[in-house]
Amino acid sequence: MKKNNLKKRTLEIIPGLISWGIIFILVLLAFINPVSCAVISLIFDFYWIIRTVYLTSLLVMAHRRLYRERNRNWLSECPDNNLYHLIIFPVYKEGPDVLGPSLEAIKNCNYPKDKMIVIVAFEERNPGARDNAKALESEFGNIFYGYLSTFHPDGIAGEKRTKGANATWAAKQAKVFLAAGGISDADVIISCFDADTCVSKEYFGCLTYHFIKSPKPHRASYQPMPVYNNNIWQAPSFARLVEISSSFCQMIESMRLEKFVTFSSHSMSFKTLVDIGYWPVDMVSDDSVIYWKAFLFYKGDYRVIPLYTTVSMDIAYSNSFLKTIKIQYKQKRRWAWGVENFPFLISGFLTDRDIPLIRKIRRGFHLLESHVTWAIWAIILVFIGPLPIIFGGAFFNQTAIGYNLSKITGLLFNFTLFTGLAWVILSRLILPPRPKGVSWLKNIVMIMEWIIVPFIILILGSTPALDAQTHLALGKYMEFNPTPKSKKVV
Amino acid sequence: MLSEQRIRGVLFYLSVVIFFTGIPFILSFALGYKFNSHTFKFTKTGLISIKTQPPGARIYLGSKLLPEKTPATINELLPGVYDIRLELERYYSYGTQVQVEPRKVTRLEKVILFPTRPNIKQLNQGKIASFCVDKEKGSIYYLNQDENAIYESNLDGEEFKEISNLPMGFNYPPKELKVSFDREKILIFNNHQICVVYLNQKNNLPYYQPPLILNYPAQEIEHVFWHSDSCHLVLITDKNIAVLEATPKSNPTGIDLPAPLKEGSHQINLVNLNSKALGVFYEVNKDVLYFSDYERGADGIIYENIYKLELNSKPLY
Repeated sequence: MKKNNLKKRTLEIIPGLISWGIIFILVLLAFINPVSCAVISLIFDFYWIIRTVYLTSLLVMAHRRLYRERNRNWLSECPDNNLYHLIIFPVYKEGPDVLGPSLEAIKNCNYPKDKMIVIVAFEERNPGARDNAKALESEFGNIFYGYLSTFHPDGIAGEKRTKGANATWAAKQAKVFLAAGGISDADVIISCFDADTCVSKEYFGCLTYHFIKSPKPHRASYQPMPVYNNNIWQAPSFARLVEISSSFCQMIESMRLEKFVTFSSHSMSFKTLVDIGYWPVDMVSDDSVIYWKAFLFYKGDYRVIPLYTTVSMDIAYSNSFLKTIKIQYKQKRRWAWGVENFPFLISGFLTDRDIPLIRKIRRGFHLLESHVTWAIWAIILVFIGPLPIIFGGAFFNQTAIGYNLSKITGLLFNFTLFTGLAWVILSRLILPPRPKGVSWLKNIVMIMEWIIVPFIILILGSTPALDAQTHLALGKYMEFNPTPKSKKVV
Repeated sequence: MLSEQRIRGVLFYLSVVIFFTGIPFILSFALGYKFNSHTFKFTKTGLISIKTQPPGARIYLGSKLLPEKTPATINELLPGVYDIRLELERYYSYGTQVQVEPRKVTRLEKVILFPTRPNIKQLNQGKIASFCVDKEKGSIYYLNQDENAIYESNLDGEEFKEISNLPMGFNYPPKELKVSFDREKILIFNNHQICVVYLNQKNNLPYYQPPLILNYPAQEIEHVFWHSDSCHLVLITDKNIAVLEATPKSNPTGIDLPAPLKEGSHQINLVNLNSKALGVFYEVNKDVLYFSDYERGADGIIYENIYKLELNSKPLY
């Protein structure tokens, strides 16, 4: 037990240690050997620019695909089947104002409602849960094949207050419901959605199509493209840009199939979920860890299939600028808490005998590299890059690299203007129509606002990830801290 | 999807190739190396950074005219000594020799090119004996010897106007002309006379303070400074250091107006000097006077010392 705990703690420390180690070494070099620091800085700058150009190319490809497929009538292309869709909304304090539009979107989608079961999974500890459940049941209770409200009890042994615990409780209730209805687990596709998730009309058709066409439908999760269009015209620039960037990152990831991991709202086979033992009940990043759980369970024979259809969510913001930054920071830190997948995955790899070593190394490295890069990239570009010039002293300033550093860096970053332009154009293309009451001038604002991206990078580029990794390394575990969801500003 | 993955694969490997091909060139350039395509070796080089005021000068490296104009950087120079000449129409050319060291930058960044026909404009009207510039107020004060008057203009010599007259008896040439910090008075002195002129006096006042002269026939005036309060003068002669009061006093009319200074009155001799001070510096922000004087040491030898005299901490009268 003690040995296991030591192993777990060691693995938890590794990402934070690497990130802080890189930062510490570079800062130290800036003082004791500024030329080396400048050389590393230049290499990183060049690497980052090439990476940005490469990833932007993937974004363009993903966007083309999404544009092509989002209005396709998937349902008409689906062969006859007996598939049911089970949709779970794990919620905490969200009420009908948030859930109403999400359920309405499901109601409006073109999949037969008699093949759909909706579960709104409340937390029993929320005093308003029962009233919210009643209100929603009265409106949506008779539309689908099944509609359940579940109430996850607090304080179950081994559980933490996480979304995964609530979703697992609801999924277990669903299993009983399905068994009572004589529906096989293998015929059910489960979608676990955030409370504010509004699916597109074609979502379930698209999901069904890909499930049927997949050679191993139970060995895959199905990931739609998350966009934050619910209140995108109302949100302030800062929050809007952050969430557009999040959408873009997810679209980019959808093109890197071998690294693609589930995120936020997604779907999978209910049979698979039952087989692997549901979502973890003690981890915050349930959306991504469920993928790794399945990956380990099926000895690496598990993948994520991108669905080029959108699910739309709310942009979290407040009417105060500082509060908006705080909300966004906390949300990004929760996402970055996905670093807890690293010890989970490596622990799994260490006990596994079937997954090829090279595959373990690749997946483990990708996971670690992505989190470490997240935690250091903005710090290197923004803070460490200029350090040799500031602290290098007269000697460094007399060297060729001391003279050339800022000039070459400036020249290199001019190339990013082209990628920035591509992001601006693509951001316009994923926008929903301008709502009534919003001035057309907002279109200009939404283009001009991209000039604040450096400021966003400064605040939200790396610090939330470094914060999360530091907490994990210190053993200060994060509780699930839901982002305030509201159609109105909080 | 398959073709997209193929394109992605091509893009990925292309990126890898660009990175590994580009980084040696970027680093070698940054570090001051030049790639020799004949020998396939990197050679250590240095560079020269040139900036001129005004910019746009042609650059000659030896006898070769370079395509760049200042500000410019001449890269990939083999170590050695180079003749640099900078030329700009209507400016004197600038030439120098610079030493280029490997992997280092030689900076030639403080070059000022002076015009061959400088833009000179006469500001005064009439024969002037002395002048001073008040940069903050944007004024120039002139002492007109012909008219024995003080004139004021802006920094371009415009808005020229007479502001006061000097009393008869002031001997030319003056040593210096100084405006008080409150800009209410002007001090003019020569070797044996101090003259204070009061400015900004309204014509309709019942009391007019005429300029006055203090005579020091037995002493040679070296320096006179305005104290920061603009009410006192710090006087350094060849014999002593003294402080004179120049504070306006109440006059019988009850209106606050400058009162006349009288020779010998309101003057405190602070230091008797053994010799004429060789150097004097007055720090006006702290009202501290630094001066030198000779003094005979206990060993009988005469030493020159530097002294600091604080004029701010003690009441002066």
